[in-house]
Parts: sequence; C-alpha cells; structure tokens
Amino acid sequence: MIEAVRSKVVGELEKIVGARYVSTNPADLYIYSQDMTQAEPGWPDAVALPKTVGEIQAIVKLANREKVPVIPYLAGGNIGGLTIPLRGGITLDLKRMDRILEVNDTDMYAVIEPGVTFGHMKACLEKHHPHFVYTYAFSPPSTGVMTNALLQGLDSLSYRYGAASSWVTGLEVVLPTGELVKIGSCAVSDGWQSLAPLPELAGLFLGWQGTTGIITKMAVSLWPKPKHSVQMTFLFMDFEGADKALKALARTRVPDDIISLSFAWAGQEAFVAQSHEKISPYPALPRKPDDPEIIVSVEITGNTREELDAKVGVIEEVARQELKGVRMVGPQSAPSTSAFFPMQMLGVLSSGGGLTWVGSYGPMSHWLEAIKEGCALQDKHGFTRTSYSRVMNEGHFVGLRWLLPYDKGDPVLVEKIKALCRDQMEMIIRHGFIPYKTPVSAIRQLEARADPEWTKLHRRVKEMLDPNNILNPGRWGAPPA
Amino acid sequence: MALNDVKEWLYGCSRCGTCKDILNIFVPACPSGEMYQLESYYPSGKIAVARAVSEGKLPLDNDDTRERIYACTGCLSCEQQCGVYHHQHIFEIIQAVRTEAVGQGLLNPAYMVMVESLKKDDNVFGKPKAERGDWARDLDLKDAGQEKVATVYHAGCMLSFDRELWNVPRSAVALLKAAGVDVGIMGAGESCCGGRAYEIGYVGEFTKYAEHFLETFNSLGAGRVVTSCSDGYSTFRKLYPRVNIEMKFEVRHTVEYLDELIKGGKLKLTKKVPMKVTYHDPCHLGRHLGDDGIYDAPREVLKAVPGLELVEMERHRENAWCCGAGAGVSQANPEFALWTAGERLKEARATGAGALVTACPWCERNFKDAAKEYGQDIEIYDIAEVACRAL
Repeated sequence: MIEAVRSKVVGELEKIVGARYVSTNPADLYIYSQDMTQAEPGWPDAVALPKTVGEIQAIVKLANREKVPVIPYLAGGNIGGLTIPLRGGITLDLKRMDRILEVNDTDMYAVIEPGVTFGHMKACLEKHHPHFVYTYAFSPPSTGVMTNALLQGLDSLSYRYGAASSWVTGLEVVLPTGELVKIGSCAVSDGWQSLAPLPELAGLFLGWQGTTGIITKMAVSLWPKPKHSVQMTFLFMDFEGADKALKALARTRVPDDIISLSFAWAGQEAFVAQSHEKISPYPALPRKPDDPEIIVSVEITGNTREELDAKVGVIEEVARQELKGVRMVGPQSAPSTSAFFPMQMLGVLSSGGGLTWVGSYGPMSHWLEAIKEGCALQDKHGFTRTSYSRVMNEGHFVGLRWLLPYDKGDPVLVEKIKALCRDQMEMIIRHGFIPYKTPVSAIRQLEARADPEWTKLHRRVKEMLDPNNILNPGRWGAPPA
Repeated sequence: MALNDVKEWLYGCSRCGTCKDILNIFVPACPSGEMYQLESYYPSGKIAVARAVSEGKLPLDNDDTRERIYACTGCLSCEQQCGVYHHQHIFEIIQAVRTEAVGQGLLNPAYMVMVESLKKDDNVFGKPKAERGDWARDLDLKDAGQEKVATVYHAGCMLSFDRELWNVPRSAVALLKAAGVDVGIMGAGESCCGGRAYEIGYVGEFTKYAEHFLETFNSLGAGRVVTSCSDGYSTFRKLYPRVNIEMKFEVRHTVEYLDELIKGGKLKLTKKVPMKVTYHDPCHLGRHLGDDGIYDAPREVLKAVPGLELVEMERHRENAWCCGAGAGVSQANPEFALWTAGERLKEARATGAGALVTACPWCERNFKDAAKEYGQDIEIYDIAEVACRAL
C-alpha cells in the first residue's frame, strides 16, 4: 500500500474502531505476518480490532473504496498461512467479538461471535448448560469455534457428524461489498436451528477461507452430553491390520470418534511433552522391531452404563469376529480422550514453536495406500512417522494427515520440513485426497487437476461476491496470476 | 538475563494461545493482552518480538515497540497456563528484552527517575533515605544495625515511604511483639532489595543491591528476616540465590511467620473481627515461587481471626488475576496498572465481600488507587492489619 493511501486508511480506521484498536506498529505487523507453520511471511499494512458488526461493515466499505485487501483473523492460531496477507492490507482481528449470544436449550444450538474459543464454549456449557457438549478439536483450547467450522475442521464428533461445517445451522455475514446478510432459518424466522429447507447459501462461505464474506455470527449444533464414556484402544502391528479395523469399526455406527495414530510418535511424544521437555520427530526416533505401527482409539459414550457396556460389546465382537488373524493387541479400555482437553495438543507443540502438516480428506478406499506411502516418505526424509487419521461421517470419508512439529529456530530443519511437505502433498493429491486448510500452492495444484468448469465457477462466485477482490485475495477463487 | 541467556527458550512458543485464558475455566489470564487485545501484548506476542529482536528483524528503537515489552506486570499467569518446555521462562524472555533495551541505551523515562532515585537514596520513590524508618519513629523498636536481634523486620520501599500504608508494618511488628519475637528494624539504614530494578532490565543495579543486602544482613548475625513485601520476599528467595554470596539467614514472609506463630500457640488472636473478606494472592507470593508458592498460610491466618468469613474469587491461588502493579507497570503505565486492579476489584465485589485482603503493599497501594479511580465500594487491607484487630 502506498504511504498516502496507508495513512488515509489508518486515519479512517481509527475513526471507525478507535485509535487504541488500530496498529501499524512493526511489532504487531511482524506478529500477524506469520503463523506456526512454514508458510512464507507476508506483512499487513495495518491491524484493526473491531467490536461491532457495524464497524466491520464500515471497514469493508472503506476497503472497497480504497481497493485495499482485508484479511479476517478469528480467535485461535489462524494457521496454515491462511491469514498471512499475500498482498498486504488490513488484518481484521475479530477476537474482541467474543460473546456466546444464545444457547437454545430446546433446539440445541449456540449462536456465537468470531472470537469464541473451544475453551469459552466448554466453560459456558459446563457452567450454565451442563447437559450439553460441543466438541473439541485436536488443537489448543484457544482455537476458534467459528474458525474450525469455517475451515471444515475435524473434531471429536466427526465420526458421527462429519466435518465441523456440517453442524453449522446459521450464519450472519458481512459481504465483501458491506451488506449484512443472514443465512439459514435465521433469515426468515427468529430461530437459528437449521440451514434447511432453503437453497444452501452457506456454501458460499463455508470452506472459502474468508475470501467471500466475514462471518459475524454463527449458529452451531450442541449435543446432549452422555453420562458415561470410555476409550477402547487397539495396537496394530501393520497398516493392513489397521485398515481392516478402521473399516470394520466404522460400519458399526457405534463410536463417537475413531482415530488412528502412528505409534512411533504417539507412543512417546505425550509423555515427553508432559514432562515439559522438548521432543522432535527429526531425526527419526528409534524404533524397536516389535513396536506396533498404528494405535487406533475408539471413543464410546452411553446414556446409561448398560448402553455403554452394550456398545463396548459390539466393538469387542468386531475384534473377535472381523479381525481374526490380524496382528494386534487389544482392545483395552482407557479413560475417555475428552479428559485430555485442554492439553491434548501439548505433544505436538513442544518441538520449538513450529507445527505444520499435510492434511487432507479422502476416500477410505485409498487410505491404506496413502498412509503407507506418506509414512514411507517420512522414512525417506529421516522423520519419525507421525500419521494422524480420523474416520469421518460414519466412514464415508477419512481425514489423513502427518503432524510435523519442528524447531523454527533451525533453518536447516525448516527446509527439510518444506521438502517433506511438498512430497507428501503431491502424493495425497495423486491418491485422490484433498488438502484441507488448503495452502495457496495446493489450491493451484488442485485447480490444475480440476475440471476447468469447477475452477471457473469458483472464480465467478468470488467475482460476483467480491468485485474488487478485497477479501483475503489470492486464495480460493483467485483469478489466474 | 540477556537475550543470549534465554536463546534456548526463544523458539518454544508456537503462539497457540493457551496462555491467554485460565485453564479449565477459560477466563482471561493475561492483564496486558486483555487490556490491549493486540497480539503483541500477549505473552506469545512478546516472545515473538523477543525472537525478532534476537534475529535482528525488529529494532527496539521504536517507543511503541518497547511500550509493549514494558506492558507486562510479570504476574507469571502465562507460565501457569502454558505447558510447553519453555513455560517457566516466559517472563525471563520479556525481562531479557528489557535488559537488551537498557543495554542499547533505550531508556524509559519513568524508569530513569526510579533508577536515579535508587542510586541516590536507595529507594524507588525519589524519597530521602533519611526518612526510611519514619514509619516506626514512635514504636521504640530495636535498631538492628546497632544491636543484635533474632529477627529483622524489613519494611521495603513501599511500606517505608507510603504513609497511607504505615499501618501495615506497624501492625506486623505489633503482632510479632505480641508473639514474643525479638524484633528490630534497620530504619534509615534499610535499602531497596533491588527486585524492581531487575524486572525493568537494570540487572547491574539489582546485583549491586543484592550484594549489599546480603553482606549487610550476614554481618548482623540475625537468624531471620521477616518482610511484608511480597515483591521483596520473592526477590530474596528467587533472585538472590543467583548472586554468588551465601545467605546466612532465613527469610520469611509475614503471613508465613504469623501462621507458624499462631499454630505454635505463640500468637493468640482472640477478639472478634466480624468481616466478610476475600483474599487476593500476590503474584510474587504465589506463582513467582513456583512449587513453593505460599497460598495456604495467608488463608490459615485469616481463618484464625475470630468472626471473620473468607470467600474466594473465581481466579485464586495459582490462577489469581494480577493486581497490576508489578514489574514497573505502576510507575510507567498507571492507566494499565489501574485497569488491571479495577478488574480484580470487580471480581472481589462479585463475591459479596466487603473487603479485599492481600499480603503485598504494591497490591494494596494499587487496589486503593483503583478503588478511588473507579469508585469501587470495597475496603482494602493487608492481612496484618486485619489480624492485628484480633489482638
């Protein structure tokens, strides 16, 4: 942004939100120029922290007038490089809008603002609505509920209900041109209970990485809190056994959550991290020949002890009948994974400030070949195997990623991480998996492989909603460079 | 500490944000971040700045950048919430950037006044050194510099020079004497502990005071130093061991010692004090001492006061919200200090208590100022003042 425009924009921002909540200080710009991943830094020209919807509308109108980019920044880490400005502009930090506006006990939803975190949601429900739960993501408690849903994240109830965007039941959006619009039942009534039965306009905003609108309110489904829970754990000696188990377990429709982890990493990282020690997947941690390959954890809940026991019985029956001959140990019972919240991420945050991954959603039918090849790539690059999979939507698809915590102060390691990620990204796309929290480079790779009409439609939608291309430009729907 | 000394910890933080809220109850933990909201005011942002300074990507010659580094009360709540391997070194990193600024000659005017006062009068308030013992002028206390006593009561800068707080040290020595303790003071011969100088980046000044203090008190032959200043207490306990001089006396905080005296039957609190109070845990008496944090002793003393009802705030013990005065903030950024205290007073009022009781004069001073500033109808006391009413 040229200086004359910048000073004019900053002056107007100060009038809109107050000088206290606008910064052009290099310390702030530096911080918002990067995240915990290896994404290349990009500096905003200014940071603004609005408190009201009206302030956001005024900023968006200002940005249109001056043709200045606006990058929405929600509660949480804002990772994956998704809020790193590609073309400068105004980083719009929405953390001051942090109210849970409504919890509807009968219709089982909560209406939230962009600054609400998983921690806030948990505390609110436990204090005022103890019969409800939301979910928790495999992320720190400061992660934004809205961020997670907008980016179609995977949570502790994703086996049951799919990606987090699936349980969005209403939106309020400031469009890139400044108008305010409601989406879902809230547009035509007082209730925020459902997107149906209406044309699903929510799809214009969910998964778009803040390029088509700024969400100012979101309704999300809440779930009755079961009284009883248990985790059942299997250790598989090879990928084939784990694959067979995931498919069999998915078809029971019994668990709340099914995840798998590489034993080589998950077998020790949490213990080391909980002792407040540093741990890194590079160079590869030593493995014993008889170490398992994969840990599979199944989360089960019940309204009564009898229901829980019956569900456990189903899982045990699967192990007996369908996993005969599989080299495995288990199932063994363990405390519910929800007990680890809010520190469940500690193990992957203890390597030196950096955390990245190649994450994707793809078909269960290709999980085995993809995870084997992805882990082989980790071997080739000298890293510990760190796969993390989550069965989604009762087995209709699967989340597959390799978590890569690393030391940001080690430039050689950063280059190794980048090289591994490039290889894994190419591999998963080749196997029909689609990268989530999709970095720009992967968007371009997908576009190159996609039906050209699909790409054109994206661009038409973006152009229609955002004619001046001000919202988080350069990502989904970006015109050819 | 210099930036080089904390290099091992500079890359620990991924800015995950866990430090922003108290674990499990998810209410704000960091006064600086909560007041200013910009990421650079949160602990994770300050670490990022430290990293950038260390890498030469961000100069410190910008007043607003340094203001962010000084906008930290050193409450260590972030260290309580974070679980990553660097978690016990967060304030060290912030303090190291402050030291770096001082080393570059980038001085904060408010601190320059304070440091000049230290050099001239051995206190941080610009008061004449000769007035240091005035709080005890009519108490006929032994002069520990002249005659040997078993216990030296160290008032510290705030209690020595803030007349409105003189009832605190006077109550403390009254309680000690009531328990039969052979107590004396250094009077005008007392000097600053140096802790504040350390926190604002003047490590050389700190070392000078620490060495002076240790050499002086070692030579007195007293077995014990008791102080009502939590800042001073944590300086003695946590920072003095970094100076290569053996400490030949034990240091006790007043609440710790009173608790022992009460439990040992030497101090008897008999009169009814019908008050409903809430207790504010000073950061320097709690989190600053790590696993040795003193949380039970003050509560035990309060429970020993007949007729007194103690109620807890939502954020207490290890998770207490800061008073706002620490690490030089009350001198350099009174708006931030008062706002932080005001938030705490709201929390205290929400308990239904009529008084907030604490065990640190820096907290007490800041709470009194905030109560006046925001018109909060709540009384502020030190534990010794409340306990003394029961004699």
